[in-house]
Formats: sequence, structure tokens, C-alpha cells
Amino acid sequence: MNTFNNGKFSLSGESLADNFELLTQALDASISGIIITDNLQPDNPIVYCNSAFEKISGYDRSDIIGHNCRFLQADDRAQKEREVLRHAIEKGKHCRVEIRNYRKNGELFWNELYMSPVKNKMGEVTHFIGVQNDVTARKKAEHDLRQQKQLVERKIEERTAELRTSEAFLSSIIHTVREGLLVLDPKFRVMSANDHFLRTFKVTAEETIGKELYELGNHQWDIPALRELLIKILPTNNPVIDFQVEHDFPYIGKKTMLLNAYRVELEGQFKDQILIAIEDITERKEIERRKDDFLSIASHELKTPLTTIKGFVQVLQKIKPADVSEKYSSTLDKVALYVNRLNKLISQLLDVSRIQTGNIELHKANIDFDRIVQEAIEGFAATSFKHEIRLSGKSNTTIIGDESHIVQVINNLLSNAIKYAPDSDKIEVHIAKVSEYVKFSVRDFGVGISPEDQKKVFERFFRGGELQKRFPGMGIGLYICDQIIKNHGGSLWVESEKGKGSTFSFTLPQNGKAKNDE
Amino acid sequence: MMNKKVLICDDDEGIIDLLTVMLDDAPFDVVTEIGSSKMPQLIKTEQPDLIILDLWMPVISGDQILRMIRENADIEKLPVIVISASRDGEKIAMEAGATAYVAKPFDIEELTELIMFYLEAGHKNSLGLEAS
Repeated sequence: MNTFNNGKFSLSGESLADNFELLTQALDASISGIIITDNLQPDNPIVYCNSAFEKISGYDRSDIIGHNCRFLQADDRAQKEREVLRHAIEKGKHCRVEIRNYRKNGELFWNELYMSPVKNKMGEVTHFIGVQNDVTARKKAEHDLRQQKQLVERKIEERTAELRTSEAFLSSIIHTVREGLLVLDPKFRVMSANDHFLRTFKVTAEETIGKELYELGNHQWDIPALRELLIKILPTNNPVIDFQVEHDFPYIGKKTMLLNAYRVELEGQFKDQILIAIEDITERKEIERRKDDFLSIASHELKTPLTTIKGFVQVLQKIKPADVSEKYSSTLDKVALYVNRLNKLISQLLDVSRIQTGNIELHKANIDFDRIVQEAIEGFAATSFKHEIRLSGKSNTTIIGDESHIVQVINNLLSNAIKYAPDSDKIEVHIAKVSEYVKFSVRDFGVGISPEDQKKVFERFFRGGELQKRFPGMGIGLYICDQIIKNHGGSLWVESEKGKGSTFSFTLPQNGKAKNDE
Repeated sequence: MMNKKVLICDDDEGIIDLLTVMLDDAPFDVVTEIGSSKMPQLIKTEQPDLIILDLWMPVISGDQILRMIRENADIEKLPVIVISASRDGEKIAMEAGATAYVAKPFDIEELTELIMFYLEAGHKNSLGLEAS
């Protein structure tokens, strides 16, 4: 825009005064504060300020004109921006600073100050023009943002440190744990292996990580049944539990490993990973085997002389002269009775050992449940003259199970009913079909069991306090029964009232296995 | 007619004693042998009509002797009653080809009846063979 016309200052006003007035109004209309200082006068006084400057600074024109700008800084004199300003003034140069200024009421505001020198023809700086913007809001936002950022950064650092610590902690656990651990990706490739895994199999991380599980070693994990289970793990989330692998492994030879596998239950980067824990149970199996062997031998060796004793007692009973005293006869009968009891105890000890080591072998077959109950009751009726065993109900069901074991349970429960009800003469047995289970209950009217003992009767070697004296036994019969019923997927329980009698019941699933191991 | 002969083999002297007393007045001859090492020879020389055999014996186990009998065409049908105190006895005995199995401790009446039953069954069987 050409404001000079024929060498005369001209906007569109009639006169110079008009034009000057127009310019002054324009300056007053600005939202930026504008001042002019006279550099030729001492201390560079302000000779002009627009109304925006009054508004920003809070000072009246009368407080401003004639003063040096420094009053805006109040007592805040140590700002390095002042150096920039001073330097620009000395050299007569432009500058832009953001400086803390103070309004008349003492309130801080951030002043974005543009300062430009005005020079005369000789190049002498005659004036400075200052344009000021109140950028307090922006500064505050910037400051807040910076603070926020610092805060966030600090938090991130803290969190990272925490994570690093807990990751180090977890990884130290993973590397200390005495079980081999592998993490597999969804394609069964090994993503990581812990130290124990590498030590157990005497392999390096290099020959393990990145390989497919089935390629490891001499393909020891490439077992169709295991493959099938692992394939199901991701879609169904059915973990692989206690999968035993007996194998001749490279470097470490023949070992038995117990494998458990779970899907990692996380979203994001860990989704669909599989965690495999491998435990070397070779030694444990060996110890169990030796213990089992020992008990088998012990039981065999104890039973052999027992056979002789039992046989000779029977011979004595057989060749007993007709005229011996009643006492002689009954003594002989008692010897026979206790020999049988001793024999039973030896068998039970072996049973307990086998249950503990999980070596009970079930020989499952179809069993007519009503028939075996009936036969067991008949067996007792022949030997127990005092008690009348009444059978009610019918299951009309064939179940799958190990007959000798189930008969053992029924016999045990019946003999307990007789043993612990010496003063009554009635025992009630009820059988029924309940859903897909058969149910057996035997009720006696004997000594009963206190509520606190009811919880413990199925524990190994539990003997009810005062019972110990009145009734002989080792406290393993019910434990064995409970284990047998559990092995068949059923449950065994007792309801009892002290002094009134007990009812022992069990259920067995028709198909011989629990729902959850199908 | 000659008496039937039962050969009893067990490594435990007590059992041999018991069986001897038990079968004292039985209507057949009893030959006993402690330990199994001479059994292969004895089966040939004694030519028993029935054998009562223990399982767990040093040198040669009962099931080994039993398998030997079942593999020998001359005596493969010889009734053998296995007696054992071993928990797996029945399974081992049946797999090796026992005619019957009786767990120790046994009932002497039961065992005696079983011996009589198989002696007679064997008798009938041999008669049947002669006839054919």
C-alpha cells in the first residue's frame, strides 16, 4: 500500500491530521499492545502507547508515558530475556522475547515482545517500537503441558522400573523353579525355555528356541496322543494334565517325564501361546516302584507263614476228637478268626501303599450291581447270626467297574455296620438307580459318629478316639473304600448321629468314569 | 489200579509240611519237593497226575515251570494248580496256563476239593483219549 502520495503522507484523509488520527485509531484497535520509545532521550522513555498496552499492563497512559519499559518487570529483574533485550537495544537490532511482566495490580503475565528499532537517514536508532501480546494463557497451557508431560514421563519411568523389577522377579522364579518350562506359539514353536528345561535335557537355548516342539531332541514329544491333546488346547482351552512320557532321550537316557500344558489366558501379544511344564519323575517313579516292590515282598513273606498257620489250625479243627471241651473248640476257632484278620490287614496295607502310589490297577468289566450286592449280603448272612441284613430297592443296572474292588467296598461297609452296632440286630441296605448313577446305602443302628469325626473317617489311619479301645482296626478300611469309589468316579459319604447309628452311602456312575475325565 | 500221584512244589518248608499233613489220608500219593530247581527232572521221573505249584521261587519261578509244561506236547494237558501269596499271582498264573489258582492263605477243604476235582476230570479225560 502506498501511503505516500507526492511525497506526502496520505491514507484517504483530507489532511495529515486526519490520516494521523486514522492511524492512531488503527493502533488503538489492535489487540497487541504497542509502544514507541525515544532512543535519543536518556533512559529510552516511552513516548507512545496504544490502548491495548494500557489494557494489558493495567497502567493508565499517564503512568506509562515518559517511563522506561522496565517498570513492567517489577522486581523480577533476573530474567535472562532482559539480556537479550539489552543486547538488541545496544546493537539497534530486532528481537523477540517472551518475558515475565507484571500488571499494575502485581499480577504476572507473559509478554511476547517484538522489538524493532527505527533508524533515521544516518542510520541512528531514534526509536524502538515494541509490540506486546499477552501470552499468559498459552504459556500456562505450555507449562501445564510440560508439567503433565514430565509427570507422565516420570510415571512411565516408575512403571517401567516396577515392571522391570517384577519381570526380573518373575523371570528369576521361572529360572529357579525345578520344573522345565516352555512357551510355545500357536504353531507349537518354542518361544522360550527356562534354565531348568535346558539343564534337564542337557540342551542349549540355540537348539531349542525357534524349533517346533515335535522336532526337539530325537522327536521325543512327537507322540500322536500328545499331538491330539495339544491341538485341542487352543480352541477348547482343555489343559493337558499329567501326560506321562517314558522315552529314551538324547544325552540323558531313559526317563519318565510328566507333562502339563495350558493355554496362556491373556489377550494381546501373549494370546494363543501355550505354556508347557515338564517334570522329571523318573526318580519318584523309581522310589515308588521300590516301595511298592518292598510292600509286595513283605506282604508275600508275611502271608506265607500265615498260610501254614491257617492250614494247620484247619487241620487241628478237622482232626479234633469229638470229646474235646467247648473251650478247646472255641479257642481253636478264635485262632482261625484272628489269622483271617491278620491276613486281611496285610492285604489292606498293600492296598494303601498301592493307592498312595497310584498303582491300583482297575480290571473293568460289566457288573450286575444288584447281583453283587445280593451276594455280599448272603455272604454276611451266613456268618453273622445276630444281625439281620434287610435289602430294599433295585437298580436293575449293569455298571462298568472292577468287581473285586467294588465288592471289597460293599463288604467293608457291611462289616463296619455289623462291627459298630454290636447291640442292635438290624441293618438296612438300600440300592437304587439315581440318574446315571447307582446308589448303595447301608444303615446301622449302632454307636454312630460324632460330627467332627464324620469328616475324618475317610482319612488314612483315622481311628475315632474311644473306638480304638472298643473296636480293633487300623483305620484304613474306609480310606481304601473312599479311594476305590473315587477311582470309579463315584462318591462315598456318611450321615450319622452319635448313639443312634450311621448311614454310609456311595454312588457309582454307570459307565465307570467321572464326567470330567471323558 | 495204581494210585494217582500229586507232585507238590513250594520253596517254603512250612507249606510243604502243611500240605503233607493235610493230604495225609487223601486217596492219592503225594510227592513233595522244596524248591524248584529239580522240578523239570522230577516231572519226568515221577510222572504226576497233578501238580501243585508255588509261583515265587528262586532259580526257576513257578510260571516258568508252568510254561515249560504247556510247551511240552507229552504233558501239556497236565492239571496244574498254582498257589501263591503274591497279589498279582492269579494274573501271572492264568497267563502262564494254570488249570486253577488258589490264593494263599488258602482254605484246606477248598484246595482238597479242587485237587480231587481235577484228578477225576483228568482221569475222565485220559479215558476219553484212550477211547478215541
